[in-house]
Amino acid sequence: MFEFLFKYPLSIYRQGTFIFLAGWPLWLMGLGILVAAGALGFLIWRQASGTARMGVVRRASIWVLQTALAALLLFLIWHPALSVSTLKPQQNIVAVVIDDSTSMTTDDETSTRKEKAVKVLDGGLLKALQEKFQVRLYRMSDHAERIDKLDQLTANATATHIGESLKQVAADASSLPIGAMILLSDGSDNTGGVDLETLSEIRRQRIPVHTIGLGKETMSRDVEISNVDVAARALPESRLAATVSFHQHGYTGQKAKITLREGSRIVANQDVTLKAEGTEQVETVLFNAGAAGVKTLEASIDPFPNEENPRNNRVTRLVNVDPRKPRILYMEGEPRWEFKFLKRAVEDDKTLDVASILRTAPNKLYRQGVCRPGDTAHPQVNGKCTEMEDGFPTKIEDLFAFDGIIFGSVDAPYLTKNQQDMVKQFVDRRGGGVLFLGGKDSLSDGGWAKSAAADILPTTLPDRKNTYSFAGADVELTPEGRDSLITRIEEDPNKNVERWKKLPYIRTFQDPGDPKLGAVVLANFIPREGGGAKRPLLVTMNYGRGRTAIFATGGSWRWQMLQPVADMSHEMFYRQLLRWVVSDTPRHITGSTPKTLLADESHVRLRAEVRDKTFLPASDAIVEAHINGDGVSEQVVNMTPEPLEQGVYGADWTAPQTGSYIVEVVAKRGSEEIGKDTFTFRREDGIAENFHVEQNRELLEKLSAETGGQYYKPGDAQKLGKDINYSQAGITVRETRDLWDMPAIFLLFLGIRGAEWLLRRRWGVI
Amino acid sequence: MRLRTFFLISLAALGAWGVLLAQKPFKQYAGGEDGDIALPSDYQKPAEWISARLRYRDAFRRGGFRGFRREGAWATDYPLGDRHLITGVQRLTRIHARSVEQTVELDGTDDLYNWPFLYAVEVGQWTIDEKEGAQLRDFLDRGGFLMVDDFHGLNQWQIFAEGIRQVYPDRQIEDLTASEPIFHILSEVDPKVQVAGLAALYRGRTYEQESDPYPRWRAIYDEKKRIVVAICHNMDLGDAWEHSDEVSYPADMAVVAHRALQNYAMYDLTH
Repeated sequence: MFEFLFKYPLSIYRQGTFIFLAGWPLWLMGLGILVAAGALGFLIWRQASGTARMGVVRRASIWVLQTALAALLLFLIWHPALSVSTLKPQQNIVAVVIDDSTSMTTDDETSTRKEKAVKVLDGGLLKALQEKFQVRLYRMSDHAERIDKLDQLTANATATHIGESLKQVAADASSLPIGAMILLSDGSDNTGGVDLETLSEIRRQRIPVHTIGLGKETMSRDVEISNVDVAARALPESRLAATVSFHQHGYTGQKAKITLREGSRIVANQDVTLKAEGTEQVETVLFNAGAAGVKTLEASIDPFPNEENPRNNRVTRLVNVDPRKPRILYMEGEPRWEFKFLKRAVEDDKTLDVASILRTAPNKLYRQGVCRPGDTAHPQVNGKCTEMEDGFPTKIEDLFAFDGIIFGSVDAPYLTKNQQDMVKQFVDRRGGGVLFLGGKDSLSDGGWAKSAAADILPTTLPDRKNTYSFAGADVELTPEGRDSLITRIEEDPNKNVERWKKLPYIRTFQDPGDPKLGAVVLANFIPREGGGAKRPLLVTMNYGRGRTAIFATGGSWRWQMLQPVADMSHEMFYRQLLRWVVSDTPRHITGSTPKTLLADESHVRLRAEVRDKTFLPASDAIVEAHINGDGVSEQVVNMTPEPLEQGVYGADWTAPQTGSYIVEVVAKRGSEEIGKDTFTFRREDGIAENFHVEQNRELLEKLSAETGGQYYKPGDAQKLGKDINYSQAGITVRETRDLWDMPAIFLLFLGIRGAEWLLRRRWGVI
Repeated sequence: MRLRTFFLISLAALGAWGVLLAQKPFKQYAGGEDGDIALPSDYQKPAEWISARLRYRDAFRRGGFRGFRREGAWATDYPLGDRHLITGVQRLTRIHARSVEQTVELDGTDDLYNWPFLYAVEVGQWTIDEKEGAQLRDFLDRGGFLMVDDFHGLNQWQIFAEGIRQVYPDRQIEDLTASEPIFHILSEVDPKVQVAGLAALYRGRTYEQESDPYPRWRAIYDEKKRIVVAICHNMDLGDAWEHSDEVSYPADMAVVAHRALQNYAMYDLTH
C-alpha cells in the first residue's frame, strides 16, 4: 500500500535524502504561499461579502482549502525528489547468510525451517539477486562459512552465533564490495543476542542487514526447561534444592512430572500442574546430594506424546559433592539439655564435626571433639589434648580453623574484646557461619548487644534484660521458612508447614528483638500463656563473606523427648541448620568458573580466590590450575592476578573435547602451600540448539532496524529483490527519484478540490 | 452432629491433648520419708535443669501406693535427699537447677518426657510391668537418663533386674571401670568407695546385705556405648545426700555421693 501511494518502498525513504530539484530558494516558496494565501483571502472576502450564505466560518474553510491547493502546486513546481544511493548493477556482492544450525530442522508443521529457507531462495529471490549482483552464499553456525550451493546446507551445526558470523562477513566487506547482507534465520542465537560491538562494526560499514525470519514465533505444543538452579558445591548426604524454571505452550492445566537423575538413577521426582500459557513456572525439587564426588544431574520433564520439541525438556547440571567435613565449635556456657540434644541430633551426620567447650563449673571446662586424629597444630602433652584447653581460642588462626561457631548460653563478657572482634572477623573476613542459641546468658541477657560482635547478629537485640522465658511457646513457619531448606522436615512444603505446627512446644524462648535489614525470619514463636505476641524464633542473615543465625530458644530439646524415637524432625532440623551454617564457608582457596556447563562452547574462564592463614587476600601467591578431563592428559595453567580484585587470580582455557573436567587449584607462597581447592565443569555439544527454538523475531527486527535493513516474513521475501538495490555500502551511484508524480499527491489534489466542491454544494453556493 | 456439640467435643479433645503434652506442675508429696517439709522460697523459680524422682509402684505393698496414706519405697530419703543433691548441684556446677525436684510416674502420659534426668531409689522394691517398662524404654531411647540407687544384696538385685528386663530385655548390665568418663567428667570419683546408708553405719559397717557386701557401680549402655542407666548397687547415695549436713554422717562419703550425682548429671548433659 505504501509503495502504491508513495511510488517507492519505505526503505528508500529511510535511506534517501529529500531534495527539491528546481534549484530555487525555499524561502521563495514560502513567500509564494504567503502571497497566495493573502490574495485568496482578499478575493474570497470580497466575493462573499454581503452573501448571507457565506458566513465567516465558511469563508475561512474555503480559504484554507484553496491556500492548501496553492501550496501543493508551489511544492510541485519546486520539483520534489529523493536522492538515494543505489547499488551499481553487476558490481556489488550480496551476502546471503543462511542459518545452518540444528534448530533449522524444527518442523513447523508444513516444512522444516531449512526447507523454507531453500524455498524462499529458490522461489525467485536468488535469481532476482543474481541478475543484478554477485551473490555469495554463507552457512551460519558459530561462524560463517562460504558455500557454493544450497544443497551444501546440513542444518546440523550445534550452535548459532549470529553476531560472530555477521562480523566475519562484514570483515570480507573491507576487501570486497559487499552491498548488503540477507540473513535467513530463526534468530535462535546461543550467545544471547548480537553484541553492540558487532552492530557498530556493521553500521560503520553501512551494510544493511535484511532479515528473513523463519519458524513460528510461538510454539503450539511444547514444554521447555529454561533453567535449573542448583548449588555447585554441597556436603555429602546433604539435602539440596534444584530450582527448575520452565514454560509451556499448549498444555495448560495438564499434569507433568519433573525428574532428577544422576546417570540412570532417579534421585527425585515431583508431579506438577502446568500453569498458564507462556508463564515462567518455577518448581523446587529436593534431593539428597549423596556420597562425595562429582555428580552429573539431569533435570527433565517427561515429554508429552505430541510435543513439537522434546529436546528442550532436559537440562544437565554438575554438583561437586565435597568430601570435606566442616568443623564447628560449640561454645556453651552452662550444662543444659539443649546442649545435649543438639549434639545428639548431629552426631550421626558424617558431614559435620562438632567440637565443644562446656563451662561445667565456675572454674572448669569440659571439651569434646578436640584434637582430631592428624591434628599437628595441637600436639598432645603427657597424653592430654591441648586444643582449646584454656577455653575459647585466643589466636585468630585457631578460631579460623573452624567453619562455624555456635554460641549457647554464653555471656559476651566471657569473651575478651579481642575474642569478640575475632568472632566478627570470623564471619566478615573468614566467611564462616555463627549460630546464636537462646539461653539465660544469651543475646540481650548475655550482653551481646553491646559486644564487639553485635553487628553480625541478624536482629537488633532488645535494650533490656530478662528476655529469656522458661515458658512454653508454639512454633510456626513464615512464608520464607516454608521454602527454606533449613526448616524443611517434610518434602511437601504445605505438609511441612503443618508439620511445624504440630511440633511439641518449645520449653523456653527469648525475645531476639527486631530483624535487621536483609535478615530473614524463617520461624516465629507464639507464647502459650500470657497472650504474648508472636516473635522471631529463627532468623538468618548474610554478613560480609559469611552468615549468622539466631535460634531464640534453649528448649527445642522437647522436639526430641516429646516425639516418638523414630521421629527425625529434631535431628533433621539441627543438621540442616548446621549445614547451612558451614556449607558455604570458604577455604583458603576457592576455585570456580562462571559456568559449570559449557553448552556448545569450549572457552572457560578459571577463577581462584586466594586467602592466607588469617584469610586476608594473598596477592603474592603463585597459583596453578591442574586440569584433568576424560581422555585429556593433565594440563597445568598458570593463573594470573586479576587487576581489580585483591587475591583473585584468573586464566582462560579451552576445553578440547566434550566431557567432564576436574580442576585442582594450588596456591603457594614460595615453597609453602597456602591451600588447594577442586572444582569441576563439563563441556557438552549439541545442547544449545535445542532451546529457544521459537523464532526470535525481536532480535531479527532489531538487527535490521539498527543496520538500515528490513525484516521480512518468508511470504514477503520476494520484495527484497527490489528493496535491496538501495544501500550505502559497496559500489553505489547516487540517483534522484521524482516524487511529483506519486499517486498520493494526485489523490491529495483531488481530495482538496473534492472537499471544496462538496462543501459548496452543501451550502448551495456553487 | 450439631455444630455446637462438635465444637465442644473438639475443644475437649484439644484440651486433653494439651494436658497430655504439657508438663505437670510441681507437687510435694506429704508421705515421704522426711514428711511434708518446708519448701524453699524459690521453689517456683523455673530453671534449665530439674532433677526428677520416679514414683514407681511398690513390689511389696498390695494395692500399690494409691491406697495408703504413707508413700511407698520410692519416697525413701524424699524430699530432703533431693533438695540437698540439688543444692550441691547449684553450688558446685554451672547447671542452672531448680531448687525442688519433680516427681514423675510411668503413667502412660507424656509428662515423663519433660524431665530427662530421672532418679529412682530403693529399686530393689520396685515393680515394673510391661507397659511401664515400655514407657521407660521409650524415655531412655528418646534421650532420657536413669540413675538408680539404694538397693542391696542379691535378692533386691533380682527384683531390680526383673524390673529392668521389662525395659531392656536383652541389654547387659555392665560393671563400670574406674577409667569411665562418668567418674571424672567434673570431679574425681573413686568407685572403690562404698557410700553407706545411715542404718548400716549405725551397725558399724558400710554394707547392708551379707549376700553381696561390695559397692557395685554398674550401668546399661545404649548402642552408641553411652550410659543410659547408671546403677549404684549396695550403696545409699540418697542417704548420703539426705544426711550430708549432719555431723553424724561421714563427710568423705557425702562428698563422693554429691560428686557422683553431679558427675552423672554432667555426663547425661554431655552425652
